[in-house]
Amino acid sequence: MRRLLGGLTLAGLVAGLVMAFGVAPREATQGNVQRIMYLHVPSVWVAYLAFGVVLVASVVYLVRRAEAADRLAHASAEVGVLFTGITIATGSIWGKPTWGTWWTWDARLTTVSILFVMYLGYLLLRGMIEDRERGARFAAVLGIVAAFNIPLVHFSVLWWRTLHQPPSLMKPGSAAMPDVIKYALFVNSAAFTLLYVYFLTRRARVLRLEAEADA
Amino acid sequence: MVVWKDLLVERRSKETLNALFFFGLLLLFVFQFALGPDRDRLAGTLPGLLWLGFILSGLLGLGRTFVVERENDCWEGLLLAPGDKSAIYVGKLAGNLLLMLVIEAILLMLFGFFFNLDLAGALPGLAVVVALGTVALAAVGTLFAAMTAQVRARELLFPVLLLPVEAPVLLATVKATEAVLLGETLGSVAHWLKLLAAADVVYVAVGVLTFDFVLEA
Amino acid sequence: MPDNWSFVAAAYGLAAIVLALYWRFLVRREKELDDAGVVRQELRQASSESEPHAAGRGQLP
Repeated sequence: MRRLLGGLTLAGLVAGLVMAFGVAPREATQGNVQRIMYLHVPSVWVAYLAFGVVLVASVVYLVRRAEAADRLAHASAEVGVLFTGITIATGSIWGKPTWGTWWTWDARLTTVSILFVMYLGYLLLRGMIEDRERGARFAAVLGIVAAFNIPLVHFSVLWWRTLHQPPSLMKPGSAAMPDVIKYALFVNSAAFTLLYVYFLTRRARVLRLEAEADA
Repeated sequence: MVVWKDLLVERRSKETLNALFFFGLLLLFVFQFALGPDRDRLAGTLPGLLWLGFILSGLLGLGRTFVVERENDCWEGLLLAPGDKSAIYVGKLAGNLLLMLVIEAILLMLFGFFFNLDLAGALPGLAVVVALGTVALAAVGTLFAAMTAQVRARELLFPVLLLPVEAPVLLATVKATEAVLLGETLGSVAHWLKLLAAADVVYVAVGVLTFDFVLEA
Repeated sequence: MPDNWSFVAAAYGLAAIVLALYWRFLVRREKELDDAGVVRQELRQASSESEPHAAGRGQLP
């Protein structure tokens, strides 16, 4: 089963690369630097997915006290932080040639940075509580608070960066996106989602084995 | 009832209030030194500084929400209390709200004094913004304080957890305060106020619903 | 506009390295735990086999 998933993931990633470099065209305004988007956008999508899973798993844990749900939440948060980090890094690397600066407080980078720190705190909390049951409970509560905070972060940052500001700094290419680019984004997003599921299941398994070892 | 207990404890040992007042004063000095005598630059950053002062004081004050129970071995009393533990949350929240609003009022006056601001006209608007923002701070702060009280590195973990969560609240309150201080109407920042109100509802609801899980024996 | 392939390479390279490292961490940890699990199983079987011998040894002084 896992081999199948792993194989599919690999195939998906290869397909994604092919789309990103072979099929997708050289973008009109930005040049080939725009291809970083095929990394950056799927990463942020996966991050949101991961944190959504954290929310669901957290609620399930509090309601049913299923250890598996707790492990799922833990694993998903970790993978989510991983992809959030990749989002930030790729966004920054894309920003340097495009905007001339390594860092800018644009809506997406700011939002993602806040999410990064929030869920890093989640992992920190888990790391600091020795008692397994208490750690699971607290992490679940934090997972719920953090998830409900995501839309608040999204809107507050969006308004902060775009209201009363000329849209000249808006992401280039956000106007009309050629279909080819959309397809490339879709393929890469699907591939990244598979990768997320692959990492998630493996990480959750490691957590289960660790729990069994400690028992 | 929990509110009364906390208020009584506060009155008997006024440490928290006094310490926070002194802390606020120190912050003002530090802001002044850090930003220099340039009045215009100061004026521009005023809303941000004000809320920075509020949040930093909040970190200290809120972080201590359960210190009395912890230090005096009353923790089991909390854990074993019959009935809905959410009542404890609401009580603590109300106590924290009161504490924070008092500190914020004092800080506001100090700000007005030191930076020579005329706050009279802006006061009603400010009151609304500060009230909305403080509920958001206190709601999450009380919940997280209960959690971190039971953890080892609580002084470190509490700010680390609270600050990222409060980032949108900070954005909203600073923008709204900015507008109010410039003499604009609350209507012009309605979207920020709605965001704050939404945050308040979400945070208090989550707090009430999850507090039981935080205080389990 | 210059193409800045170095940036593209940096981004993809960084992502690839990070993901590969995480994958390696997972694989290694899993192998470690799986092996430990097998060892525990064997130990448990070994001790349960020696139990009957000890029980039939006679009374303790």
